[in-house]
Amino acid sequence: MFHTTLRGFLIAASMLTAPALSAQQITVNLVNEPSTLDPHQQWNPDSYYVYRNIFDNIVTRDDAGEIVPQIATAWEQVSDTEMVLKIREGVTFHDGSPLTAEDVAYSVRRITNPEFGSPQLGQFNQIIGAEATGDFEVTLTTNSPYPVLLAQLVKLSVVPKKVVEALGDESFNAAPIGSGPYAFHEWNRGVDVTLSRNDDYWGEAGPFDAAVFAAVPDASTRVANLRAGTADLIVSIDSDIARQLEGQPGVHVLTAPTERVAFMGMNTTRPPLDDPQVRKAATMAIDREGIVLGILAGGETVAGQMATPSHFGYVDGVEPSPYNLEEAKRIVAETGAGETPMEFATSPVFDQRIVQAIQQMLTEAGFNVEISMTDMSTYLQRARAPEQTERPFFSFGRWSCACQDVDGVQFPLLHSSSSWSRVNDPALDKVLEQGRSSLDDSTREAAYAQVQRTVQDSAYILPLYQAVALYGASDKLDWTPTANESLFLNRMAWSE
Amino acid sequence: MPVFLLQRFGQALVAIFGVMTLVFFIQRLTGDPTYLLVPETATQADIEAMRRSLGLDQPLLVQYANYLWDMLRMDFGRSYVQNIAVVEIIASRLPYTVQLASGALLVAFVIGLPLGLAMAIWRKHPLTNALMGFVLGAQSMPTFWSGILMIMIFGVWLGWLPPSGSGSFAHLIMPSIALGLLSMATYARIARSAVIDELSKDYVRSARARGVGTGRLVTRHLIRNSLIPVISISALEISQLLAGAVIVETVFAWPGLGQLTVQSVQSRDFVVVQGIVLLGAFVTISVNLLADILYSVVDPRIRKGSRA
Repeated sequence: MFHTTLRGFLIAASMLTAPALSAQQITVNLVNEPSTLDPHQQWNPDSYYVYRNIFDNIVTRDDAGEIVPQIATAWEQVSDTEMVLKIREGVTFHDGSPLTAEDVAYSVRRITNPEFGSPQLGQFNQIIGAEATGDFEVTLTTNSPYPVLLAQLVKLSVVPKKVVEALGDESFNAAPIGSGPYAFHEWNRGVDVTLSRNDDYWGEAGPFDAAVFAAVPDASTRVANLRAGTADLIVSIDSDIARQLEGQPGVHVLTAPTERVAFMGMNTTRPPLDDPQVRKAATMAIDREGIVLGILAGGETVAGQMATPSHFGYVDGVEPSPYNLEEAKRIVAETGAGETPMEFATSPVFDQRIVQAIQQMLTEAGFNVEISMTDMSTYLQRARAPEQTERPFFSFGRWSCACQDVDGVQFPLLHSSSSWSRVNDPALDKVLEQGRSSLDDSTREAAYAQVQRTVQDSAYILPLYQAVALYGASDKLDWTPTANESLFLNRMAWSE
Repeated sequence: MPVFLLQRFGQALVAIFGVMTLVFFIQRLTGDPTYLLVPETATQADIEAMRRSLGLDQPLLVQYANYLWDMLRMDFGRSYVQNIAVVEIIASRLPYTVQLASGALLVAFVIGLPLGLAMAIWRKHPLTNALMGFVLGAQSMPTFWSGILMIMIFGVWLGWLPPSGSGSFAHLIMPSIALGLLSMATYARIARSAVIDELSKDYVRSARARGVGTGRLVTRHLIRNSLIPVISISALEISQLLAGAVIVETVFAWPGLGQLTVQSVQSRDFVVVQGIVLLGAFVTISVNLLADILYSVVDPRIRKGSRA
């Protein structure tokens, strides 16, 4: 009797309250709630997954990864440091006001204004001027020739000048107004953000009347939600969970190679790693096939360079340097490199399976490597220490500039002026500068081919693999995830 | 009595000031939030600019003085990450924590107290051993496991309850049970040993000799006399529950203070952590004060003692 009562009670409770999941609403499970919905403030996946649907960017990338018009319909490099953008006519913000060149220029000036303190400043600080030079024309000025400008503008969202100025930054963040395919509807702090379709959108707005982005921190819970049907799409799952999902009815796993390159970094300025032979030994000791197939097993591919095929500047036909444990052992024994205790700095954010595997492999070759685990902010402080020689001996990272241009990967990791770099090679610096300052594609490609040769010959850094992004989705959801890890709702649909 | 209260109030103020100071300095020992806020491509100059805009470039003592001055004016600051007022962030999370804490406490009380009582009165009954096993099991099950188990059974297989989230009574059931079972075990054990203690006392024997039945003995004498340790534990449990339940909240995507605390500590969002810790200190101190007052209500001996 008790059981039937309890059961009846539970069913009543769930019927009373289960959200009316209309077929026209999509529910996405993120890890955390967005930090901000103002696109010029925080830059983390849980934030941009949401706000990229509320706002249009200046340009965007199509599913094939090509830069295509969004708010800018055409662009022209009029001088070495000036680019003129033609602005799309007839675009309106969600409050009905028209989007003009002044809004675009204002958006650029806002995010590049040091006073505003955008965490994204570092992505756009080459831009020193943005002026509306016509009703639908904007001229951008950079402080030197800057070939990556367009690739960066993929991430620059256009906000309405009048609204932001009238509301102030705080109110705008609480109830943002953009021109994108989905309009902000409600932000239930700590719980979820609801968007509703913008029926006046200039382009394809997509099939969903509404979209809910809910914060679900635990991966197993996201999976349970997906299987129970209270979520249609979940982010951030690992290959173990993906394998569990694969056998389940009603759900499927979506995989996309990303522009994220995993690497083992070495401090080439600290003995014994200042010896190219020793670094070679370290790279030969790492069995990348083993890591990719044995540990990750999510569809990752071994990388031979610090780039993926989706990057400009990717060099075709580079073979990863071979795995050769015996040779590595020989060099370590010969040079006595195993006598120096070396730290492998890391933090829980990084996949510890990989970190431990690498440490194991280096130890097997005779190196004396110890893992030093700290929290993320301490790790970053050490990894970006002011003196190059104080940065860690070894580290593991997965780098993405979200710009699909090798300059965004290789300059920060290899140029001696960067706070991440543990390489100090004036010749390499010069080539990297050439690559970043020429507007001629073939000059740039030649420069990056040269970078690739130098990096591999001197074993400055060891590219490990191209990371993949795994998503769990209802098998009714039709969507092709892309390399730039975005969730554009207007590129998704229900399959019939 | 007012003197006693004033004293306690003064002590509470000193304690809160101590907590404020500790949380300020300890957090700043743990690292610089700027590195977590800027994207990977930021240069050293960008990092400096960010640090200036957060006011973290000033000497520590200047920051501390500003902090104390802000606290005096009841200005709790703005989150570094979300850029909104801390009061607003905490206020949006607090109702969820209160809901979950109440649910858990209800589960703990309603199951734990009668269970403890039963286990004490029927100490020798074979069923008591089974009950003891249940209590022990409830206490040893880690919530990240029992939570997921419940989600799989009731949320996914049976589909009776929403697997996670918040917003309705149905959402509250599973997290309350997961969290409440832990406190339930504590209550059952405390109630059991308190009642056993009382049972061996002279007045129980004389009451039995006078022919008082078990039912009347329990309701009229035992419960009231065993309540003191239960109240002390409640003060601890309530302040713990109100500080947020990190694991249960994470597993059930319940947007309470526990989740907020973990996220804020991870992102070194100093201002939010300070706010939560202060709130926690305030709750703990007031609940304990309340417990002191309750003792004297339940136990006339304490009341009379304070008058003498």
